[in-house]
Amino acid sequence: MARVEFDDVSKVYDDGTRAVDRLDLEIADGEFMVLVGPSGCGKTTALRMVAGLEEISDGTVRIGERVVNGLTPKSRDIAMVFQSYALYPHLTVRDNIAFPLKIAKLPKDEIGRRVDEAARILDLEPYLKRKPRQLSGGQRQRVAMGRAIVRQPAAFLMDEPLSNLDAKLRVQMRADIKKIQSDIGTTTIYVTHDQVEAMTMGDRVAVMRKGELQQVAPPQELYDNPVNVFVAGFIGSPAMNMLEARIDRGGEGLVAHVGDSELALDAETLSRRPGLASYAGRDVVLGIRPEDLEDAALANGGPRLRGRVELREALGSEVLVHFAVAARQAVTEEMRELAEDIGDDRVLLDQPAEASLVGRFSPRTQVRENELVEVSVDRRSLHFFDAQTGLAIG
Amino acid sequence: MRGLRVPRGLPFVLPYLPFLIVFGIAPTIYALDLAFTNATGGWAWFHNFVRTFDDYRFVPAFKHILLYTSVWLAMLVVIVVGLALLLHGRANRVSSTFRFIFYMPGALAGAASVLVWLFMLDPVVSPGRFLLQHVLGATLFAQSIAPGNLPFIFAMIAFWTGAGGWIVVMYGALNTIPHDLEEAARIDGASPIQIALRLKLPLIRKWIAYMVILSFATGTQLFVEPQLVNEASLGLVPDTWSPNQLAYQLAFRYADFNGAAAIAVDLLFIGLVGAFLIVTRTGLFRTDD
Amino acid sequence: MLRLPALTLRLAILSAFAVFFAVPVLWLILAPTKADSALVTASPLSFGSFHQLSLAWHHLDRFSDHIYRRWIYNSLYYALSATAITLAVSVPAGYGLAFGKFPGRRLLLSLTLVVMIIPAAALVLPIFLELNAMHLLGRSLSVILPFSFFPFGVYLAYIYYATALPPGLLDAARVDGCSEVQTFVRVALPLAKPVVALVFFFSFVADWNNFFLPLTVLADSNQYPIQVGLSDLLSSTPSFNPAQGGGGQTVDIFRPELALATLIAIVPVAIVFLVSQRALVRGLVGGAVKE
Repeated sequence: MARVEFDDVSKVYDDGTRAVDRLDLEIADGEFMVLVGPSGCGKTTALRMVAGLEEISDGTVRIGERVVNGLTPKSRDIAMVFQSYALYPHLTVRDNIAFPLKIAKLPKDEIGRRVDEAARILDLEPYLKRKPRQLSGGQRQRVAMGRAIVRQPAAFLMDEPLSNLDAKLRVQMRADIKKIQSDIGTTTIYVTHDQVEAMTMGDRVAVMRKGELQQVAPPQELYDNPVNVFVAGFIGSPAMNMLEARIDRGGEGLVAHVGDSELALDAETLSRRPGLASYAGRDVVLGIRPEDLEDAALANGGPRLRGRVELREALGSEVLVHFAVAARQAVTEEMRELAEDIGDDRVLLDQPAEASLVGRFSPRTQVRENELVEVSVDRRSLHFFDAQTGLAIG
Repeated sequence: MRGLRVPRGLPFVLPYLPFLIVFGIAPTIYALDLAFTNATGGWAWFHNFVRTFDDYRFVPAFKHILLYTSVWLAMLVVIVVGLALLLHGRANRVSSTFRFIFYMPGALAGAASVLVWLFMLDPVVSPGRFLLQHVLGATLFAQSIAPGNLPFIFAMIAFWTGAGGWIVVMYGALNTIPHDLEEAARIDGASPIQIALRLKLPLIRKWIAYMVILSFATGTQLFVEPQLVNEASLGLVPDTWSPNQLAYQLAFRYADFNGAAAIAVDLLFIGLVGAFLIVTRTGLFRTDD
Repeated sequence: MLRLPALTLRLAILSAFAVFFAVPVLWLILAPTKADSALVTASPLSFGSFHQLSLAWHHLDRFSDHIYRRWIYNSLYYALSATAITLAVSVPAGYGLAFGKFPGRRLLLSLTLVVMIIPAAALVLPIFLELNAMHLLGRSLSVILPFSFFPFGVYLAYIYYATALPPGLLDAARVDGCSEVQTFVRVALPLAKPVVALVFFFSFVADWNNFFLPLTVLADSNQYPIQVGLSDLLSSTPSFNPAQGGGGQTVDIFRPELALATLIAIVPVAIVFLVSQRALVRGLVGGAVKE
């Protein structure tokens, strides 16, 4: 058991690419830390530097109190679960799990005891004599976990361990891994690009972008108070709606002009975002979470937006309503990057006169496609970002 | 370097290095050195090349292998590709039987193949004596291996031993074409012949290129076949029929190692050009990962 | 769907070529069962008798004081030793080239590729001169060492490791506590079985069939491998060398003996061929096709 610390750590490749840029991050003893971000954000590189699979260009990595920069993976006392599971195809499940212990030359009976224990925890007992290729995806994943836990290492490193599983199994394994980790209490660094995994599993979540750490916080904090447009857009599904808005003085305090609509910002909103006062007369990015939008027919009060329903997705417990309003979508570098990450290259290429928003409506909503709709905005958790820097206005 | 003193992977390559240097790189350099110097070690410019070129046996030897490789390559391209296309899409059992029959003579490479074909070309014992008599007009062994026939005979022997292997390779390459593609072409209205010519053929083009270049380079190095035919023909066929034989004779009968090296360099040059073309043009081999 | 005439035509073409490929092999198998005179008179593809076969073997074996056995033994010795060295050298080298990070790696790969494609015969004379300078001529090492340099084997191992072995597996081994050597021995090597078979096949067949190099570097016929021995035998057969007429009588080497000698000489390669056709295709096509 140990804490893991990145101290001003950088990774620069031979071709000059900066995969990780001056990362400072401390993972407490026993903590489950999730590194999350779109592909190419440096999260896997950071993990591999802890493992000793990637050279550290600059800065120091500590495991416990020990600086591990110069150490081989062998002497770092860590275990790793790979995205591909990396099971040795020529060894049985038992030998796969026992492999690190055999390399460490542990006594035979101790190896047997530990492997049996791991197999019991992971329900692998019936499969110990099989070869990896005879196992299902979920079973392979558990063998990979088994190989990590038998070592009783100072830290677990997990590199997208669930991304090769189908959706249902992923939900199951998510819970299993979280439970095993909290039972044995080993410090864990978990890399994923799936923000749902990040939210559900992490004690804290570190969001990275282009090699730089954006924000580290417990999941709820990250969701409620994203520090910038990038984190706001990355965390949450469907993603936060981002609109260009202009702050002006008016009425009882400030109003936000969104296209031809006007959202009055009441005293409560302003007391939570006092920084907004200095933005009067300036453009900002307004962020609205889908759950803060509701069919006005079902909501009581609040400012309204008027739009035309483009698509209605009924999910049973809720209805996702996509609607166009006369306003401009906020398009920043970050938004482009996020769109590219999900493979949607058509988003945000040109700026239509209408912005498309998603609202999470109550299933009782009666709205229909191609009809006009009045949408009520819950002002209590609106997000505002500086139009130039993308930083949250607090 | 993560505490490792040796760059990763280097120790595993070390045992290979002496072999590569001694039997790959050094002979090449040594051959070049000899080819450009005279018997006493003095610099000779292109003298050895000019000298060997003027040898009365040089031009015929190169003509022989030029004709031989042309015939052989034509056979390979037309027949190998044709047979592979015919086999592809046949019921699997039938196809694998044929492939096996075509492939087995590959076991008889080198001297063994020549011996078998000496028998086949001897009208006295050949199972194909009917063909020998009526197509070649040969009733005697010496008539079968008349000098004019030799390039064709060697091409046939080389084809007989090597074609099966290439058919298997081409067939394998054809199998890498996704089945969907073929079905799409069929739905688009292509006939089996159109599918073969307009879809499959272009998709195995680089393999055909590879076969042609490699065979050309190998063909120019012909040695064992004319050497054995020379022995079996009582000198009817000269022992300098191919350039490699000429080099061999220069070296071992006349102790003219510089001349031999010059011819070896000529052949090496052809081989290098072939290697270069294969690597750069076919895209079959990769050195990056 | 194929119409019947097209199908028939297709089958006819394939069968015609099957005859071309198969008949010489069949003839070779049947020839030693007949006396020399029967080869001329009897139907070419008929079976003679086992008695004639054993007689032919008797004559062949007696030739020049059992030298035929010696040639086969030499061939096995040269080809197997060289292939063993080839395997020991090329599997680690392919691994090092696939996963190594050292200066000159690309250069080494390119050189290997070029030397692999140059026909081996092009280098025989310079190698002869080199061996001469090293005073190795006439020794078995003069055959085994050049045979052991088999760049194609290195390339096959490289391609196998680069495409079939996920790098994650090696990372896992390192994280599991393996040193670099342990990573190779405990993970990469046990997984190399398919490529070992492939390299064995190509190296053994190439070595067994090589004629030019042993002819050049060996002087004593007791050291010849079978391929060169066959050429010796050919010059003792009167039907191809009437000048040897008298000699042929005394050594009893006629066409059936020569055919038997050829037949036995290809047995090892034929066995390797038989067992390897499938692996061969997979290795060649699967390995060399660019992803």
